[in-house]
Amino acid sequence: MCSRSSLEQEFFKKWVPGLQICSSLAKDMSFLERRKAIKLSADVAMATARDGKTCWSRALIANASKQEDKKIIVRTILGSEFERLTKSSIGSVVCEKRVRSKKILRKSCTTIRRVRKIRKSAPNRVLASSIAKRLVKKRTQVMKGLVPGGESMDEFSLLEETLDYIVSLRAQVDVMRRLANTLVLSIP
Amino acid sequence: MNSALPEMLQCVQTSENIAGNGTDMTVLERQRGRLKWQQQQLQSQQLQQSYFNENQLNLFSLSQTQHYQDLMNNDSAFRELANQSMKVDPDLENGWPNFTKYPIPRTGFCGEMKGFVSSGLQTDALEMDYSISRTSSCPPAEAVAMAGDEKGIESVLTEKLASTVGRDSFKKRKADKAQNPKVIVAGDVKVKKIKGDAEEVESKITEQNNSSNNRETSADTSKENSKVTEVQKPDYIHVRARRGQATDSHSLAERVRREKISERMKYLQDLVPGCNKITGKAGMLEEIINYVQSLQRQVEFLSMKLATVNPRLEFNIENFFAKELFSACPDSFPSVGMPSEIVNPAYLQFNPAQQVVSCGLDMAVNSSDMGLRRTNSSPVPVPETFLDSSSFTQAQLSTIWETDLQNIYNVEFHQGRSSAFPSQAFTGSMEANNLKMEM
Repeated sequence: MCSRSSLEQEFFKKWVPGLQICSSLAKDMSFLERRKAIKLSADVAMATARDGKTCWSRALIANASKQEDKKIIVRTILGSEFERLTKSSIGSVVCEKRVRSKKILRKSCTTIRRVRKIRKSAPNRVLASSIAKRLVKKRTQVMKGLVPGGESMDEFSLLEETLDYIVSLRAQVDVMRRLANTLVLSIP
Repeated sequence: MNSALPEMLQCVQTSENIAGNGTDMTVLERQRGRLKWQQQQLQSQQLQQSYFNENQLNLFSLSQTQHYQDLMNNDSAFRELANQSMKVDPDLENGWPNFTKYPIPRTGFCGEMKGFVSSGLQTDALEMDYSISRTSSCPPAEAVAMAGDEKGIESVLTEKLASTVGRDSFKKRKADKAQNPKVIVAGDVKVKKIKGDAEEVESKITEQNNSSNNRETSADTSKENSKVTEVQKPDYIHVRARRGQATDSHSLAERVRREKISERMKYLQDLVPGCNKITGKAGMLEEIINYVQSLQRQVEFLSMKLATVNPRLEFNIENFFAKELFSACPDSFPSVGMPSEIVNPAYLQFNPAQQVVSCGLDMAVNSSDMGLRRTNSSPVPVPETFLDSSSFTQAQLSTIWETDLQNIYNVEFHQGRSSAFPSQAFTGSMEANNLKMEM
């Protein structure tokens, strides 16, 4: 239960070395690459501020460490934690396989159900509840795409992760905005 | 007090007879028997036909309430505790609501409502636990329980009961009692319901109960709408069914799940701005999705902004940041000498170091004063921009991101204006005064 400012401080502390690396690499990178590197460094710093306790942070680090060219950024930010955190995120690979098999199973089930439903509900009576359920399902799917590592979560933990993720994102945006503004203001 | 026990047993037997199916007394029927005995103490009512009548059970739980009100002194204390624990901390500064651990009050009344109200949501705990452990609140149990060890008493009680009615379900209960029961109450338990719980005899149902018993259970928990889940070493979950609702195991589990989800949605509602009016799950999810997407887009935009600014700067400032932003800055300026050495080489290229300090997270005017003293020799636009940024930070610290964007535009406007002004030299003290005014 870090307070907001402590979270921001944590994030900033972790981020500054990443920014350093980015600036040092900046000479040979295009603008887009630089932007991606900065974003990556910010995300990884955010995730490490959470210290591997949340699922989304682990998944984020896993995804980040997969990119070979920017691995050095990740490495510097994570520092000593690099080995530990990347190892724990290997489990997410296994989760992906499970998720994929779940999806296949789900698809087959839904087709069966659909066939059955067509036979049952001959009248065109559509209940509000069924609409709501469908909407909720669709939106949970979208949310799973938004939150990193969300695919392998059930609904309840998805909500938890979203909570945490929102808080971290807010802190991240705050710090980045302040930094960006001061840097912009510095331009004479 | 010991005489009370045989009376209670008598009551149990009578209730047995009343029920007509004396052979198969479950835990609940026994408890109901006990309640009836208490009822008989208070009022004389016709309980026979009302055994399965929900309304009657309503009544005597009410009477229980009145009765116990006299007995319980520290009920209010417990209620307060429970209240505090149940209240969700609306502090949005913490990402998670604050649930602090409360000590266990050993309230010695009515068979000890031992309040285990322990903390809940932590980042590593995905479950919110409110645990209130309860024991039987039977008056005869009271004095006996007060005498000594709770568990011993419970076992005594259960033994007595076993002597009259010994069944497998009872054995289960004994096993349960042998361990220290922790009863987890869902977060939306209100105070009077807790009070109602306190009065009522603790009832646990296993998921293997048949439907008739379940019906009785639901009737038994008439006044309270809370559900009580108990997690023990045998890892079936005891859930108290709500009144008038289906009580088979599947729907109970469903209800537990649904309540958990609704709790999470409530927190999310507090977190996402503008979600107070939206009540449905689908609408809430929509808002959450929009918010997360907007935050992510902001991150992208800001990283792009930083990428444009980035190559012009050198990042020797990390030491400066570390010292200025995260160390407690004293009112005087003893530390000016030290960081200034570090700063000076970077300073000429990186004016906004001071501005960052002022925009920094907790820094007061002190750091900005430090920066100001150094700006005396600096290029002139810095003071103006510094003032602008100080006002900007003040707004920044208190506003949400939409208004911040407006401020950015304002500041940049000021920036443009200030560059047109003739350069003036401010003294350090003057600038400090200005800053103090704006801060």
